[in-house]
Amino acid sequence: MTRDISVELQNVDKIYDVAKVVDGVNLSINKGEVLVLIGPSGCGKTTTLKMINQLIPHTSGKILVNGEDVTKLDPVELRRSIGYVIQYIGLLPHLTIEENITFVLQLTKRPRKEQHEKALELVEKVGLPEEFLKRFPRELSGGQQQRVGVARALAGDPAILLMDEPFGAVDPLTREQLQNELLRLQEAIQKTIVFVTHDMQEAFKIGNRIGIMKEGKLVAMGSSMEIIKTEDEFVQNFIGRGALFDVLDNIPVTRVLKKDVPTVREGDFLNRNADLNGWENVFVLDNKGVCHGYVPLENLDSSGKITSDKLLSLSGSCPPDLSIKKAVEEMLYGGRTWIPVADSNDIFQGIVTFDSCANLLSEEGGK
Amino acid sequence: MDVFMQAWMYFINRREYMFETLADHFILVIWATIIVILIGVPVGLLISRTNRLKEIVIGTVGMFYTIPILALLGFLITIMGVGTYPALLALVLYGLLPVVRNTCVGIIQVPEMAKEAAIGMGANNLQLLFKVEIPLSFPVIFAGIRTAMVMNFSLATYAVFIGAGGMGRIIMQGIRTYNTGMLLAGIILVVVATVSLDRLVGLIDNRIQRRFSLVE
Repeated sequence: MTRDISVELQNVDKIYDVAKVVDGVNLSINKGEVLVLIGPSGCGKTTTLKMINQLIPHTSGKILVNGEDVTKLDPVELRRSIGYVIQYIGLLPHLTIEENITFVLQLTKRPRKEQHEKALELVEKVGLPEEFLKRFPRELSGGQQQRVGVARALAGDPAILLMDEPFGAVDPLTREQLQNELLRLQEAIQKTIVFVTHDMQEAFKIGNRIGIMKEGKLVAMGSSMEIIKTEDEFVQNFIGRGALFDVLDNIPVTRVLKKDVPTVREGDFLNRNADLNGWENVFVLDNKGVCHGYVPLENLDSSGKITSDKLLSLSGSCPPDLSIKKAVEEMLYGGRTWIPVADSNDIFQGIVTFDSCANLLSEEGGK
Repeated sequence: MDVFMQAWMYFINRREYMFETLADHFILVIWATIIVILIGVPVGLLISRTNRLKEIVIGTVGMFYTIPILALLGFLITIMGVGTYPALLALVLYGLLPVVRNTCVGIIQVPEMAKEAAIGMGANNLQLLFKVEIPLSFPVIFAGIRTAMVMNFSLATYAVFIGAGGMGRIIMQGIRTYNTGMLLAGIILVVVATVSLDRLVGLIDNRIQRRFSLVE
């Protein structure tokens, strides 16, 4: 069990003079998980993050990284083993992009050839052209610099990444693009990420789990669905009224997809009084699995034969990665209570109903 | 017109002597600059770490800077006698202020973000100093060295009063012997040399500024 925990904070305090900036925080971050820390400014989220790589030493409590007490490790070695993406990028202006990316490798004196290969690999991984390696940070846009910042943090192949409001300094459009890229990258690299932000939408989008902090204390912790359901007044005020839709915007319809819908082929026979587990429509597929329409049971004649003239059109389906929010919007605009889901090859996957979306909130736990 | 003609004639006839004197002058200034860098840069680095030390040291070197040069040379004669060494010491004392102050200021103005990024990635103290702090403050440090060097080049003409060589010798001889041609030739040469030196070092300065990204 403990082997799956990457970073653990046990009852950690940080006291400056008399002010308790971080107050009894307990956290355990699993391997490969993205944990987002969020809260109003001055809540101690950045301090908590910086205590993990000991940029800020903690006053009391215990911090374990891969099971080892950080106070017993050499801080320089500790920091080299953890990727760090700083607020407002923090690229070194006197170094080229290549030198910036390989900074950790220079510190650990790796061979030049290895440094260059790593730079080539990473610049491609974060989606920048190879020519950029020779440029200086000031020649790049904010979004491009931020990508370099991520590449730089990955250079030492760390298992853990600390990201301190990494996308705070770029415009909203670029931010969304960077978030998507980070999610895509994370799918491939599976790092343990601690991500500090003040943007609730970002937290819902990026985080597997979200921790909300207030005056140094961790007041709520859980998946976005669990956070939504937290009854604490501060949490409710902090996440805001629109939060539910932000959460639903990041959950794909596959979570509420009904796959057990009755399907038939054209030319099949079906009794109009058949009991189909409460379904009142059957969906008509061809050999490939493409849906051509549906037939309400009550429309069948006494022969029960499914013929093309009885077919009602589906009027549009949605892809499986569509968010629940968008699916609900689709239903509301179209005046429908359900929509079919089909993948990119048009293969029928099932349907999403308004009821199943509505039931999501009352479900036990969520994810 | 007559005076300029005389100066020109003096220059033509005694040019070997003049360039020899100029070379002495240069060597004195170069040595002073080297010693100033060797002392001033480490002192500047050291005092950038502590506020109290900074005030004391900057105050002290600032005081040297305000002593009139003739008074300082006179004082140095009483303890060191005459010759090149007291002249060198005087130039070093004058040159310290710009170098110490610029080094200290340069290090202090290195953005916190850059330092934190480097520390966060695992730079140790020496790596932080040599890979981040010194490169990022180098343009400011170099500007201090430039100021010290050009200022010392002018001040070195006073070295003649203390028995050291240099361009001051030609000017003094010119004054004492009422040889206006010699005087003017010496003055023109020292002015041209000072301005050229400043321009030359300025060119290097520009390249450094561009390399370290302070100018677009």
